Amino acid sequence: MAFNFNWSPLTADAGFYERARDLLTTALNKSPKPPIIVDDIFVTEFNLGSVPPDLEILEIGDLAEDRFRGIFKMCYSGDAFLTLKTRVQANPLNTYLCSKPSFTSPQPLAAASGLTIPLQITLSEIKLSAFIILVFSKQKGLTIVFRNDPLESLKVSSTFDSIQFVRDYLQRTIEIKLRDLMMDELPAIIHRLSLQLWCPDQVPKEEDEVKEDDEPAVNPLATPPLDAVDANGHLVDPAEIPSLSLDGGPETQSLFSQKNLLQLDALTNSHRTSSLFTPGIQDALFRAWAGPSDRVEANNTSGLSTPSLLRSSTYQGSAHTYTFSDSSSQDHGHLPSRPSMVSFNSATTGLSLGSGRHSKTGRKKKNRVVNLRRKTGSEATSSEIGDTSSDATSTQGPMSEPILPIREAPEEELAMPAASIPSKVRFRSPGDTSPRSPLNTDSAVPAEVPVSSIEARDVPITLSQPSSRLAAQEPTYPGRTTEKAEPRSVDAKGQWKRGGPQSDTSSVILEQAWIMKMAGEIARRVYDEKNRNPAFWEEREDSPPPAYEASR
Amino acid sequence: MREFMHHILNAFNGATGWNEDNTYRQLDVTARELIDFQLPRGLKLTLSSLATPHFATSYTLGSIDIVDGSISYLYTSTPLYNVAAQSDRITLPALLRSYRKLHDLGSRGKPWSVATDAPLDSASPPVAAGVNKYPSTTALGVLDRDRSSLLYGRLYLPQSLLEGLTIKRFSSALQVHLSAVSEQSLRNGGTMLGLVQYDKGKYGVEGLASTDGGLLGVRGLYNFGGDASSPAPTPSAAGGLTTENSVEKDRIYGRFSAGGELYYGTLNKSGGMSLGMRFATLPAHRGTPLTATLTVNPLMGNINATYSVLAKQYCSLATRMEFNVYSYESEWAVGMELWSNRKPAGFLLGASPTAVESEPVAQRPKIKERSFQAKMEWRLDDEPEPEKPNPAVATKEEYLGVLKARLDHNLRIGLLWEGRIKSLIFSLGTGVDLHKLGEPFRSLGLEIQYSS
Repeated sequence: MAFNFNWSPLTADAGFYERARDLLTTALNKSPKPPIIVDDIFVTEFNLGSVPPDLEILEIGDLAEDRFRGIFKMCYSGDAFLTLKTRVQANPLNTYLCSKPSFTSPQPLAAASGLTIPLQITLSEIKLSAFIILVFSKQKGLTIVFRNDPLESLKVSSTFDSIQFVRDYLQRTIEIKLRDLMMDELPAIIHRLSLQLWCPDQVPKEEDEVKEDDEPAVNPLATPPLDAVDANGHLVDPAEIPSLSLDGGPETQSLFSQKNLLQLDALTNSHRTSSLFTPGIQDALFRAWAGPSDRVEANNTSGLSTPSLLRSSTYQGSAHTYTFSDSSSQDHGHLPSRPSMVSFNSATTGLSLGSGRHSKTGRKKKNRVVNLRRKTGSEATSSEIGDTSSDATSTQGPMSEPILPIREAPEEELAMPAASIPSKVRFRSPGDTSPRSPLNTDSAVPAEVPVSSIEARDVPITLSQPSSRLAAQEPTYPGRTTEKAEPRSVDAKGQWKRGGPQSDTSSVILEQAWIMKMAGEIARRVYDEKNRNPAFWEEREDSPPPAYEASR
Repeated sequence: MREFMHHILNAFNGATGWNEDNTYRQLDVTARELIDFQLPRGLKLTLSSLATPHFATSYTLGSIDIVDGSISYLYTSTPLYNVAAQSDRITLPALLRSYRKLHDLGSRGKPWSVATDAPLDSASPPVAAGVNKYPSTTALGVLDRDRSSLLYGRLYLPQSLLEGLTIKRFSSALQVHLSAVSEQSLRNGGTMLGLVQYDKGKYGVEGLASTDGGLLGVRGLYNFGGDASSPAPTPSAAGGLTTENSVEKDRIYGRFSAGGELYYGTLNKSGGMSLGMRFATLPAHRGTPLTATLTVNPLMGNINATYSVLAKQYCSLATRMEFNVYSYESEWAVGMELWSNRKPAGFLLGASPTAVESEPVAQRPKIKERSFQAKMEWRLDDEPEPEKPNPAVATKEEYLGVLKARLDHNLRIGLLWEGRIKSLIFSLGTGVDLHKLGEPFRSLGLEIQYSS
């Protein structure tokens, strides 16, 4: 396997610098500026230089034709430079007064009159050293997250270099601003850019969403799931799906559960007539996401639209899985800054679910914890083949290693909250060893599928599955026993790891913002766990991924 | 619109005879108020009251993005009698008029009324300002005034921002002005500014210190020319003679003031200074009242010139030019103020005033009759208490509203219409950007004030 990074062709593109300048100019002027800067900041010159950065691949979590996930280490000390132009306030009294309350202002008459001076700042000798998590999929675009503060040093030269005070101030301020830019703005910019490149239909457009609202019905088959399966669990050729139709043919009935289709129909009809009747759909997975139409729908049907529940969260141990996802961050790639998200982790997913949880408190919570690290290790290195040999039943499809739990894995492998897939055939009997195709739920996320955001599934299969799978897996991991002994401490860890064996979930590239949060969360947990129990890692894996280690 | 508490503060200064204009800070206040008047934003309601002569409260409720408000209290040791605080009695010019007349230098220590000071009715006789003329109050009263103090506090509610102000008068020429703000977001949780003001009539000096950055400052103003140099016969004394009157009209009679300011921040090692000069006609001047100022900031190369004129009783104009000799940047702005007595609150296009019927209430001689009780008791009435001068009537307030407008070099227009409807004083303002004609209205605001 080889990667080919082209540095100079990137810069050879004539329009590239112009676009980059525009993007940088907008980004720099977005946040409020300190009072000393009185004009907009314009990027006049921008050059990436000829020295490429050093890229070191630390991990590749997922690799396919249309998706990629990996962790890189990047070092850069090249000859790129950037020239900014703006105007600054030269009167210190003027800037002094700007940030002060007017009530206690000394209110000078003319001593604070301004003198604005054009300023040109050149940033050069930029030294970067960063761990980059890069996630790419054709559906979701490109997401880059910096795991640490990438900026090591840079040289700021300006028109005021002769004045020590001003130079120091500029150096300080620019470093702070650049850090913000790298950590917050740059991922957003890149994501937006990649969306424009690869999936222009996902670029958020207000009008489109409004239009969708008016459409009375949407054919769920218009955007079929990537890996639709028929009633027998065999893959349906995607080429055949267009030939299916909602109205006729037995194929439809088998592709979507007949009973649930009827109930869905009743549900949508009840919306049209604003009747209060809501058919009870058992073992349904509700998902609120995307456009306003979906949100309305989710509110109406689930009745679980707790305002604080903004993010997809699943509850293990229940056949019902409610998933709430943040529509804005999911579609627009903006970084959410909600306080609720800060505290979000997989340990609280079940708890934070309001009514969905309460109805199920009586049930025993089934914890199935899967050690991913072991698996990846065993796959990557042949030294641990013995471990995985008994793993055949639990290994479904490509065992991509989910360093990043791209989403909180639905417990019991219930239900990816695929919008339009009735993924009822997810679980097969343990004896069924036919390779499971990844259920790429992501493909079902296009914003035109509002109606079928409620997903129904078959009860018996779902419920029968977990225990058997659990049994099949437990002997596989002797190391699990330690975790079982102290489930409380590992619970949180295990919960996100549970997503591990599901290659289908890990291949789903979901909310970028969530990734960022989770990446930080994981790193912290791993670090904590390692500190608490040094032997913890040793019995399972020789060393943590260098990314986490080095970032601390 | 001046805030109610500002109005009370003015009244306090008036009642204690403090000349608030005799500082360098107020050198160009006329042009500043004509041009840089504040546009209201959002909706703002103010309920105020001068509950007792010593105590005033004010409550503000505003909504720009969120609903916010403030509560403020004010206490003065000097009773504020004869101050029109009710919003139906308050004189509009006292609250809204921008063009300010100069105070008489000699009137220092002598109380003046806010209501009669602000309106520029030429009918009001110019005070023959004898330098040594002291008010006819008792010595005790003067002493009381000279020791007066004022306390003011204001709490902004959602932000938990607290403002406090103390003014303590030590003599008729010396006062200390201490203001403080406490807020969480500020460094050290708040700032404090202390001002020591010394007003000797001919000159006024003040020193200031701020906890913010350890700023120290000195500013001073020196008056000369006009009444400041010649206490001799004022033209108003000879006002009766028509022959001299025409001569007086030609001669511009005014006062020069020159001053400067100097600041130094002890913590951030920065400073600033400026020099300024003003010529303003005195109230006794018979011609068009005008004020011209020139300020120079030699450090920053900034030159600022203003010229404001009271073209007619109902119209004031002001211009301002700014030029920076280092950066060659220039700015200009013009401001205008139009008073009107048309019917809906001085609306310029409204109905013309109904033939100034000028409520003859004040003129009609009241036939006094013995009260019923007095008759019953076979005696005469008590001596009637002297009628309280009603400022609203006394100044013959005829203006119902005012339109203020400004235009600056960015082609931004500010429009403000202020007036009185019933007993509510309102202020409706908008900002218009001529560069963006697609959506010209940059801001819109309405401020309503009621006081009792």
